[in-house]
Amino acid sequence: MSQNVSQLLGLARSGMLARLQDLDVASANLANVNTTGFKSARANFQEMLDDAAVSGVRPAATQMLLKPGSLRTTSNPLDLAVEGEGFFAVQLPDGRTAYTRDGTFSRDSNNQIVTATGLRLVWQGQLPANLEDVHVNPDGTVMAQQAGVWSQVGQIPLTRFNNPTGLAGFGQNMWLATDASGAAQNGTATAAGYGTIHGNTLESANVNLAEEMTHLVALQRAYSLSVRSFQQSDHMFALAIQMRRG
Amino acid sequence: MIKGLYAAASAMAAGLTRQNLLSHNLANIDTPGFKQHLVTLDDFLYTRQTTPAPKTLGGEAARVLGWPGLGVETAAPEIDFQEGALRQTGEPLDFALQGAGFFQVRTPDGDRYTRDGRFLRDADGQLVTSEGYLVLDAAGAPLNLPLGTVAVTGEGALTVDGQAAGQLAIGVFADPAVELQRDPQRGNLFTAAAAPTGTEPGTVVQGYLETANVNPAQIMTQMVAVGRAYEAAQLLVQVQDELLGRAISTISRL
Repeated sequence: MSQNVSQLLGLARSGMLARLQDLDVASANLANVNTTGFKSARANFQEMLDDAAVSGVRPAATQMLLKPGSLRTTSNPLDLAVEGEGFFAVQLPDGRTAYTRDGTFSRDSNNQIVTATGLRLVWQGQLPANLEDVHVNPDGTVMAQQAGVWSQVGQIPLTRFNNPTGLAGFGQNMWLATDASGAAQNGTATAAGYGTIHGNTLESANVNLAEEMTHLVALQRAYSLSVRSFQQSDHMFALAIQMRRG
Repeated sequence: MIKGLYAAASAMAAGLTRQNLLSHNLANIDTPGFKQHLVTLDDFLYTRQTTPAPKTLGGEAARVLGWPGLGVETAAPEIDFQEGALRQTGEPLDFALQGAGFFQVRTPDGDRYTRDGRFLRDADGQLVTSEGYLVLDAAGAPLNLPLGTVAVTGEGALTVDGQAAGQLAIGVFADPAVELQRDPQRGNLFTAAAAPTGTEPGTVVQGYLETANVNPAQIMTQMVAVGRAYEAAQLLVQVQDELLGRAISTISRL
């Protein structure tokens, strides 16, 4: 096995870079501990070999963790939470469909159901203008009260993916379908695998604070270790270079 | 004299190789299923040294000075297959093997074995590793998982919403250190010359990952030892060089 300066220092450097990338992911998780419907992410690292020569570590993928967040009750009947795998579909301004677990919906001035940022929820139906009260059933059917009478005005579908971890982050707590995630499969809530919709409820972020903090401590130590190994590799080279003085 | 110089230099080269592997192990301290690289040192050939045939003393035995070593080299790296600790993740498609055995996965270059249980369902519903290699069932076929709640028994039988969905292949090797080699290109995967023949596989645990079997305290102490040995070897080179230089200058004055 031959050694050269860049390889030996590169090994320790790859360890330091991996820990920094991990820190980015951990920071994003911690920053979103109070974001409704947020799904935490995990940086997956993999050993790197090049023709059997050790080459350190590389990031393989950032995986979206699908653990459910805890549900909390609210006073808004259009606060929706999915218990299960499904996502809500929302219409982006450019016509594309994005998917979210953040069910902070409300009624806008055009009687549309919109997200907190004003994007329209994709559903079959229409809220009546003279709406007195609204209620969403576990299967997604939307009940509206007009003049004291309840009637069904539509249904909110759910979307699921073969590989939700393959969804591309769009920002604002939304995701886009990709080749890796597979095509969007639209279905009805309460159907097998889609999940149940809860009205007057929001899903908290699935970030486990204690777990994230422990991870943060561990990765900080791992970073120090990599720095130490970088220093030692550097020192060894310096010794070799200084060998001939006289 | 020159022999000693190269012996000391070989110790420096071995030190760099060991430092290489320690850095690599450290870099993978957070890689699930990672098995650390071990390095062992071998002596070079020994050569017999004798004095020139003296005029007065007979017999060869009296002239032998000894068998000084010519230095040190690193032997082929070995794999430490010691089991890492399990860490809970709560992810339904994270699996760990508690005890003997390896998951079997399919790469474009053939089937491989791994202890890294970070699995995913791909776009076609097949169970794959985090790098996209197919995870195989006991019959050597890919595992197809319909959508739903995945559960696994300790023996590796998968169910989705209570319906049977295949059996994870778990290859058991009686002596992995002898039977398995590293895949030269793909980290964390091992190749085997022959099919696994061992019995008594470990228990499959869902929602857990096996952490790397890298012990930071051990690596740090090894690194200190490597550093000091390297410094000593470097000093030896300098001393040899100094002696040689003195010999040259002294003799030239005569």
